[in-house]
Amino acid sequence: MIFIGFIFSAFYLFKPKPITLSFLPYFGKDSLVINKNYFSEIISDSVSIQSLRFYLSDINLIKNGRIIYQVKNQHNLIDISQKLQVKLFTKSELEFDSIQFDIGVDSLSQVSGAMGGDLDPMKGMYWSWQSGYINFKLEGKSNICNTRNHVFQFHIGGYIFPYNTIQHIILPVQNKTNINIKLNIKKMLSQIDLKNVNQIMSPSEKSVEISKQYANFFSIE
Amino acid sequence: MKFKITLISLILFVSAITIKKGFQLKYPDYFPKPTYDLKKNILTKETIALGRTLFYDPILSKNNTISCASCHSSFNAFAHTDHSLSHGIDDLIGTRNAPALMNLAWQKLFMWDGAINHLDMQALAPINHPKEMGESINHIIDKLNKTAPYPTLFKKAFRDTIITGEKILKALSQFQLCLISAESKYDQVKKNKKQFSDQENRGYILFKKNCNFCHTEPLFSNFTFANNGLAIDTTLNDFGRWQVTKKSEDSLMFKIPSLRNLSYTYPYMHDGRFNTINQVINHYIKGIKQSANLAPELKKGILLSSNEKTDLIAFLITLNDSAFVFNRNFAYPK
Repeated sequence: MIFIGFIFSAFYLFKPKPITLSFLPYFGKDSLVINKNYFSEIISDSVSIQSLRFYLSDINLIKNGRIIYQVKNQHNLIDISQKLQVKLFTKSELEFDSIQFDIGVDSLSQVSGAMGGDLDPMKGMYWSWQSGYINFKLEGKSNICNTRNHVFQFHIGGYIFPYNTIQHIILPVQNKTNINIKLNIKKMLSQIDLKNVNQIMSPSEKSVEISKQYANFFSIE
Repeated sequence: MKFKITLISLILFVSAITIKKGFQLKYPDYFPKPTYDLKKNILTKETIALGRTLFYDPILSKNNTISCASCHSSFNAFAHTDHSLSHGIDDLIGTRNAPALMNLAWQKLFMWDGAINHLDMQALAPINHPKEMGESINHIIDKLNKTAPYPTLFKKAFRDTIITGEKILKALSQFQLCLISAESKYDQVKKNKKQFSDQENRGYILFKKNCNFCHTEPLFSNFTFANNGLAIDTTLNDFGRWQVTKKSEDSLMFKIPSLRNLSYTYPYMHDGRFNTINQVINHYIKGIKQSANLAPELKKGILLSSNEKTDLIAFLITLNDSAFVFNRNFAYPK
């Protein structure tokens, strides 16, 4: 009995710590706080963010261009007000030089019917009138938007060519157990003509353009 | 001891098989394989019963007045008879005719424009539509949690009481997957139980020559999209498939409906513009509007004498399946 207990504790001791992947939303140099007013020089007006959610999927750790660790068939709904971390449970300590992941839901899962967990349509990331997941959702306010209550809404989705919005991201990172990935919303918004483009809620050329813009502003802290 | 172990493993083995097998869909051997992946949603009697209860319950709508069955009545092969355009909560009228629900396990895209990519996800569209049920899946979950016997029904179906969007949608799918129509006179003939009359036989030959390329046997649709030469109704400006794909070649393309149960499912076409089968056939004989993406088979219209028209209708009537329409297992649960 003692022997079994010893094996178990040894196993536990040698099991590597999970790698924690944390998403850190920023507005310029500041940590992004929900509903807080920030100033954007580009539009010379204030901006506040009410919600930021996106699907994180297909995470790979890479060493010399080869995949050494892979999370398959798992979609994590990252939400600024609920969940910003994902843990990777590796079997042994790994050496890696970069991380890859997708922002969005892959095209096979998009057509696979009702699913649970983070993909359950009750999570509010599914378009009911035209099937498909919203890959990335950003909602906020700015006086520059000539809309009701000055809101802007970017619901970015679409999985069928030519409006495929899933984005593949590769970032260099060295063997860390805590990987912090910044997403700079200020830089993303600076690429968008917010006065004229503020309501995107269906697959279109604009959705594809915006998906490319936010994909550019993920970086390792 | 040995006997006990054998017995236990035998019980486990048998129960594993029965659980995995679940409830089997019954369909004739001349039907193709279902396109719905039944391994991802194993049918059980309890889940089908839950889906049926949900299908008939107006609790799925915002003001608890409209159920799925409001526009998909079993007596009309789950279509909405007498209404060219279907109506939802507060007597609001939509822009399309509610299609019949049958043989859904063989269909991949749903709605007249194919905007829905899976049977499971289909129910979300009418639930959310402001002119249909005007409700959200999350609010439905709240209501179901507080309404007997739903927590018990969910427990029976899924072995726990936690109600989720996935479970609601899968239960609705399970009931709808059971809606198989395969007992019409046409089917009896296929099964060598009955014979066509001479007139029906003549109609069958005309059907195969003129209609089968889109309304393909034995499901009587190939479930693709086509422009069948309908002039656009400018009060609706419904461009069909184009609204989903935004490709000009898809303009005015609509999903080809099955012809099964056609006598029960009037009016016809996506906007319910024709009330009788006669009007529909007349459209194909002399009403086709030419356009670039018109179905090539319709470029010259369909040539039929008035006798041939009568023969064709005689065949089409054999696609009515009263055993399906009056099946008590599909009706309002009592």
